[in-house]
Order: sequence, then C-alpha cells, then structure tokens
Amino acid sequence: MSAQVAAMAVDGGELPLGGGLLALVRPALNVLEPRGMLAVLSRAPSVREDLPSWCRVERHEYLGVERIAGSFDRHLIARGEFSVPLPSTVHEGRLVPRDGRLTASDVLEVAPLPSGADPFTGFAPRGARVEPGGPGYPFTLNEREHVAPQEVAKLYDQAVTSQWDATCDIPWDKVKPLSFPLAHAVAQIMTFLAENELSALYVPARFIPRIHPAYAEVAMFLASQLADEARHIDVFLKRARLCGVGLGTSSVTTSRSLLSLMETEDFTEMAFLLSVLGEGTFLDLLSFIERHAPDEPTAELTRRAKTDESRHVHFGLAHVRYGLANDPNLYGRLEEAVRRRAAALHGVAGVPAPVQDALTILAAGSAEPEAVARGHEAFRELLDTMHASRMRRLQHAGFTAQQAETISELHTPNFM
Amino acid sequence: MTSAKTILLGAVAYDPKVVTIWEGIREHFQEQGVPMDFALFSNYERQVEELLKGHIDIAWNTPLAHVRIRQHTSGKSLSLGMRDSDRDFHAKVIVRRDRDVKSLKDLEGKTLAVGSADSTQARILPLYFVAKEGVDLNRVNIFPFDTDLGKHGDTGTSEIDVLKALNEGRADAGTVGDLIWVNEQAAGHIDSSKVEVLWTTPGFDHCMFDALSSLAPEKVEPFKRALFAMRWDNPQHRKLLELEGLREWLPPREEGYASLQDALKQQRKEQ
Repeated sequence: MSAQVAAMAVDGGELPLGGGLLALVRPALNVLEPRGMLAVLSRAPSVREDLPSWCRVERHEYLGVERIAGSFDRHLIARGEFSVPLPSTVHEGRLVPRDGRLTASDVLEVAPLPSGADPFTGFAPRGARVEPGGPGYPFTLNEREHVAPQEVAKLYDQAVTSQWDATCDIPWDKVKPLSFPLAHAVAQIMTFLAENELSALYVPARFIPRIHPAYAEVAMFLASQLADEARHIDVFLKRARLCGVGLGTSSVTTSRSLLSLMETEDFTEMAFLLSVLGEGTFLDLLSFIERHAPDEPTAELTRRAKTDESRHVHFGLAHVRYGLANDPNLYGRLEEAVRRRAAALHGVAGVPAPVQDALTILAAGSAEPEAVARGHEAFRELLDTMHASRMRRLQHAGFTAQQAETISELHTPNFM
Repeated sequence: MTSAKTILLGAVAYDPKVVTIWEGIREHFQEQGVPMDFALFSNYERQVEELLKGHIDIAWNTPLAHVRIRQHTSGKSLSLGMRDSDRDFHAKVIVRRDRDVKSLKDLEGKTLAVGSADSTQARILPLYFVAKEGVDLNRVNIFPFDTDLGKHGDTGTSEIDVLKALNEGRADAGTVGDLIWVNEQAAGHIDSSKVEVLWTTPGFDHCMFDALSSLAPEKVEPFKRALFAMRWDNPQHRKLLELEGLREWLPPREEGYASLQDALKQQRKEQ
C-alpha cells in the first residue's frame, strides 16, 4: 500500500462501534494523509449515534451520513491533525529472500541506516511510524558516522553463522597430561587470556545502551561479540583448570591496563583501543599459542577464538576507517587516546613477567635450558611480529607510517 | 511565586492526578515567564465562592460552576479558555437490547439509571433534553448514582456505575456522557450484544477557565499566552494534556452553555 492515501472506504456491515467496527476504522484512518477522506459503510443504526461522538473525542471530523439505496449508511470522516504522522522518508524497498535466506545485509539494503537519528523515537525500530510526543531517550550515539560502518551487517551475518559450542566443539577428552612446568605455563596463559577477555566482555557492553536503535545492527553485532567473549572466557578457564595446577597469576600491569580501557568514554576510541590495537595484537598472541599448543584441544580452542577475534578486529577497523573518512580530527583524537593511556600506565616496564615466562616455556615445550633458549627467541619474535602487524593494521585503517609507528610503540605491554 | 504578579489558579482535587497536572502546568508557565501557583479545593461550590470573593484569580470550572459564575456576575465574568474536548459534548441514552426501549417515549414506565445530581453530562442535561423531547419524567423510574457529589461528575464514577447497572440488568436504560461512552467502547469494555445507544442529546460545552472582570490584564494576557503555548507533540506538555483529557487548548465560547442555563432555570422553578 502506498504511504499516502487520499480517500478510502471500509465496509463495517452490522458491526457496532464497540463491537469491532473500530478495528476497521482506525487502521484505515491511519494510512490516510491528514484531511484524507474515509467512507464507512454500515448497516448498524447505532453507528449513526456513536461514530460522530468517537470522531469528536479523537479529533477527526465527522462530515455526515447518507442513506444509500435504502439499505445501508455511508458515513464520511476526514482524518484529523492529531493522528500519527505518515513517515516522511521514502518508503522502504521490498525485502526478498535469496535462495531461501534473509541476511541482515539484505535488510540493510531495503532499510538503509539514516545519517542521523532522533533520541525521541526511543526503541521504535528503524522505519516504524513514530507517534510524536514520546519521551527523549539518553542515547548519545545518534550519528551514523560515529557508530555504524556499512560493513556491520555483513559482520553480524558472519558472527551469527560462526557461533560454536564451548561444551562440545573442543575435543576435551584429548587433553593430555603435561609436565609440571608446561602445565603451569598453560594455566597461566589461559588465566591471562580469560582476564583480558573479561574486559572485552565488559567494555563494549557499556556502549550498547548509548547506541541509537536506528543503528540496531551495531548493537546486535556487539551482542554477538559479547557472546564470543563469554565463550572464550568459558573455554580458556576450562583449559586452565584441566591443567590441574590451579589458575595463574593476575598482574597489576594487566589490571591497570584493563582499567584504563574500561574508563574510555568515547565509542570510537574504545573500538580503536580494544578492537584494533588490543584484539589485533591478540591475533598474533593466539597464533603463537596455537602454533606451540601442547595438544589438539588447546590448538583448536585457540584457533576458534582467533577466528572470532578477527571479526571483532574487522569491525573495529571498519569503524575507525569510516570515522577517519568523515572526521579529519579523529587521527589526533585517537593518537591522544593512546598517549593518555600510555601515560596512565607510566612505569609499567613490559609484558607481565608471569605471562612472558609462561609464553617462553610454552614455546620451549619443556624446561630444558636449550629448549628454553628457543622459547625465549620465539617470544622476542612474537613481540616483533605484534609490532609489525599493528603497523600494517594501522596503515590499513588510514594512518601514516609515522603515526602508526608512534601509536604502536605506545601500545600497552599488556597486549590488550 | 508569592509576588503580586503570581496568578493564583483554583482547581478541584477530584483525583490525585490533579496535583501532577497543575504542578506540571505551573512548571510550563514558569518556563514561559508567567508566575502561577494553584490552590486545590475539595468541591466546586467552595471554588466558586472563593473566586467570587476574589481569593483566587482564575478557576478551572465545570460547566455547572461556569454557569453559576456567569449568573453571579450577570455575565460579566471573563472566560479565558477551554479544552478541545469541552466543545460539542453530548450525552447518550443507552438501553439494554432486551428491554424493548425503541424510542425515548418507551422510557416511560422503565428504570433509567442516571449519574450524580451535579453531573452535567450524566444527569442534568440528559434529563433536561429527554423531557424536552416529550418524555414525562414523572413516569420514568429514575435510578440515581449520587457518587462524588461536589465534584460535578469529574470523576466519571457515577457514569461507570450507570453502565454497570445496565450491564447487570438493574436498569433498562441509562444516561452517560459521550466521552465515557466512546472511550469505554473503544477500550472493549462494553458488551454490545447487551447494550446499545438509543439517542444522542444536542451538543453542549463543558469546562472553562473563569475569572472576574476585575482581574488585571497583566495576569489575563500572560495566562492565555502560556496556556495556548502547550503542544500535543511536546513530550512534557503531552503528558499533562493526556492527564487533563485534551489535545489542544481553545479560545472560550459562551453559546455552548445556553442549554445548561435553561435547565438550571427550570430546576429552580420546579423547586
């Protein structure tokens, strides 16, 4: 049906006003433009008394009744000015399934993200007709360029199809008993990963209530990210406990670093620090753990976590790239955010010692001095790899080589 | 708030929401730079007296109170504004389908449930108009619901009582205002297999802001300006307008009270 209709008719048969007639009259008036005309055909005499009164109360104009062919009444109503306005935007395109599937990207094509959104539309879904006069909502992310890159729907679709089950998708019964130093190393690494992933669960969650529901796909993508993090925390802690030596140590360095992340108040800065820099760096860390994993379940859970994290990095990159393209001041703000965070972590020397040691032993595969030397070398290479990847990623996001160098050097030694 | 410029408005506290309404409107007036405060009365008789004594500047009056102010001031009082919903009010005669009341004349010999003695829409005017149509009210068994006397029918309780009596078969017919009748129908509260409307009275007007002609123009004009600045699509205003039962404030008009004046004159003659 077209959005604007000038006149229409409904046949109310013998329905009284309070016996169902309004279920025909109200929706019909709802699609009329203001002053548009509705004819109500009726065989119920009481409607002659009730329809004018209802129109008065609802501020529609009752124009009169005519007896047609001696058998039924035709009442005429002009739609009043106080009804829900028709949408001012162009009508949505038609949603068509492709090969039996409907994706969020398909929806985005017919219902594109608006450049700005009104906090007074509350939780009304994008495209809904919104009755004016509702309360304002405390959403602060009300502009597309600050919140919603076009890629978000595709990433959400990927996230939905990539969910996995921490209970049974990891071959848990293949976990091998490890030597004491290696068991300690794995428990420490898994404790560290879980601690960081807890922050990755809490930090984006703070921003969901700030996102205007017109950009629901962003909130939905973040929800999938939260589900990913929950699953990672789950598998990392299961793997840690399977070592049988208790959990590892949580360092002050890690705690300070994650608090500074949690205190970030700007959505784009958060996406940059957490997803581009933090989770980006974690991709190399997870590859390292997968490569040196002492058994198949450890390799498998790390590989799966890495696939999920890679999606989060993509969203962060898309978000930052989109922001940089629209806001020339963003470069400066992001560099400043990294500097502020580095200043807050001033005095923090390097990777937390328990984590560095555990990664070294993991890469060594044993506590034999010769193996440990190899492990140490592998750890040093990991730091170089992380720096090189950050440089590549930052330049991909739109930073110059020099800016990328500065930012990468300032990045937290906690990785996340 | 207590300066000589402050407009003191009287309203009747027929429901706790009245406090919310006037506190909200007071805030809106303040935003408009119009100092206003309100005094709540427990009944309209007291409010009319206090307005006539000049103890309050403006009274938010029912039609009955408005007509009394007009009488006491020989029509010299100032009418300042009304709700859109106050214009062209009607009363309805509702009948049970199983009691064989096909015309107003059939009410004779039947039980007619009516609202409070001081309710314009549920008692005074429907009986006045029905009598004008030739029904001998002495031959009608009047079944009154005199609830909330002094509130002039504001609470709507007596109208709900009338509809309940009809639904339960304790009355053959009943009189209510059109607002309650269509709202109850729209909300699905009316069993239309049992009851239907028989007749609609001619239109009449409802509430009005009244002031004495001595009220300073420095209060009259700001009051109107602030009142008419309220908008349905403004979230703060809309909450108040919904509670007060209107979509927009409209200028006053007097012709809608002629029937009530006449009805009251007749009541006095009969007493």
